[in-house]
Amino acid sequence: MSLHSDSGALYRVTGTHPRVTAADHGAITRVGGRFVSRGRVAVGSLYWLAWLVASPRSVVSGGVAREMESLGIGALRLVAGASILVGLIGTFQLAYQLQPYGAESMSALAIGWFSTREVGPVVVALLVVTRSASAVAGELAAMGTNGEVDALRAMGLDPVKYLVAPKLAALLVAIPALTILADGFITLGGWIGSTVFLGFNSRVYLDQIRSSLAASDIATGVGKAVLFSLIIGIVAADEGLNVERRVGAIGEAASRAVVYCLLGVLAADTLVNAIFYFIPRLAF
Amino acid sequence: MLVVHDLTGPAGAPLLFDIDLCVARGETVLVIGPIQSGKSMLMRHIVGLERAERGTVTIDGGCFDAADAHEAELRQLRTRVGVMFEGSALLRRISVLANVELPLLEHGRAGSREARDVARELLVEVGVSVEDHLMPMQLDRASQRRVALARALALRPPLLLLDEPTTGLDAVAAHAFDDTLYALQRRDGFGLLLFSHEVRHAYGPADEIDVLADGRIVARGTRDALLGSDEPVVHQLLHRRGRE
Repeated sequence: MSLHSDSGALYRVTGTHPRVTAADHGAITRVGGRFVSRGRVAVGSLYWLAWLVASPRSVVSGGVAREMESLGIGALRLVAGASILVGLIGTFQLAYQLQPYGAESMSALAIGWFSTREVGPVVVALLVVTRSASAVAGELAAMGTNGEVDALRAMGLDPVKYLVAPKLAALLVAIPALTILADGFITLGGWIGSTVFLGFNSRVYLDQIRSSLAASDIATGVGKAVLFSLIIGIVAADEGLNVERRVGAIGEAASRAVVYCLLGVLAADTLVNAIFYFIPRLAF
Repeated sequence: MLVVHDLTGPAGAPLLFDIDLCVARGETVLVIGPIQSGKSMLMRHIVGLERAERGTVTIDGGCFDAADAHEAELRQLRTRVGVMFEGSALLRRISVLANVELPLLEHGRAGSREARDVARELLVEVGVSVEDHLMPMQLDRASQRRVALARALALRPPLLLLDEPTTGLDAVAAHAFDDTLYALQRRDGFGLLLFSHEVRHAYGPADEIDVLADGRIVARGTRDALLGSDEPVVHQLLHRRGRE
């Protein structure tokens, strides 16, 4: 509020910067503040993650196990079901597109390659965002409004260490692991589509999957999954920790977390793909 | 022990103005005022949870600029003060015992077995008996307050800050909490700064009462001195006894 009015007064007095209004300035400041805040959470949580690796028998490690169960194992059925459906959809779409060329059976090639490099990590990240980003932000926001975050700070403790680092550690293990599983389930879905519905031979399908896949494809997918884990953990935690103390703020923080995590994941994926396209030697 | 000097804050939109406050070791100071008068905000400023426009806070010899304090500097100072927030603010995802152990373990004051023993002892001192794995939400409100008191005392701080410690408790539980608190203070000799809107506290063993209204300390003194005050807010607050 004060920032808007101050900025407005400044522009009126100096008469400079005619194209940037006070409202624009406020928006720029908010976006800048959001990046600074995310940066702080990122630095803090990475520092505490490193500490956690060095001190595995600490108070925080119990939290990591709990979060792993909630964020990782809890998402297993969802990821399995959705991945099989993605495999089926991919098979039908590819077979339909390849049909005019009489190459429906080649759909397995694309399924194997595309699922490990692209669809697997993105589908898992989007499912985890949908299922857990709002939960992470909502939980941290509720802890903030209940005074738990302040209680930690008042004890001379860093809330990022106790509340964010365990969640980030769990996501860094869970999302890559779920991605590898999703790759398998997408392939399974593709196999069901190819053999049961399109009537192709299982051996042909498996041979094509085997020939299309390289370890580098799986490594690329896992690398993306690690990047997505960081984005989801940091963005959701930051939204949760910076909640205002008013009615409706927790719900808004949870919604913002989902939106920004989705955008973040898609932006990061686009960036990685663009880098691999324009600088091919960086691609595996 | 605690000296607050010329505190105005929070930065940007002050709610508190020109606050000066002192609490000596073993002394009890009550900050009393209506709801929304700025009591909780004042406590947050004292432990550096909010950035002020100006002012300094000295806790047990360590001083910080309330307008420009660094989190690392504050973390060290916060180990010298126990804080109990309104509504307990216990960490709900860890057990009652783990809540009390946490400051001991994390500040390296005890190993895990010793911390557990100290935590159990503290819980007994505040009058709570719990199983090791009992979670905070399984306790009634009065017991939660007592656990929060035990956690605030875990590092044996020379100064204790309590924000509305008995709000929402029935009269019996509130008086029992007060008795426990003052007994511990007599035994350990910590300075006590109590923020409350409950007039009952003004009739307790407070050495000094500061009346906060609209973000300013409008009157200060002993209960007897304040009972003779002409200040309307003081009159309204202290002559309410028996009607609340």
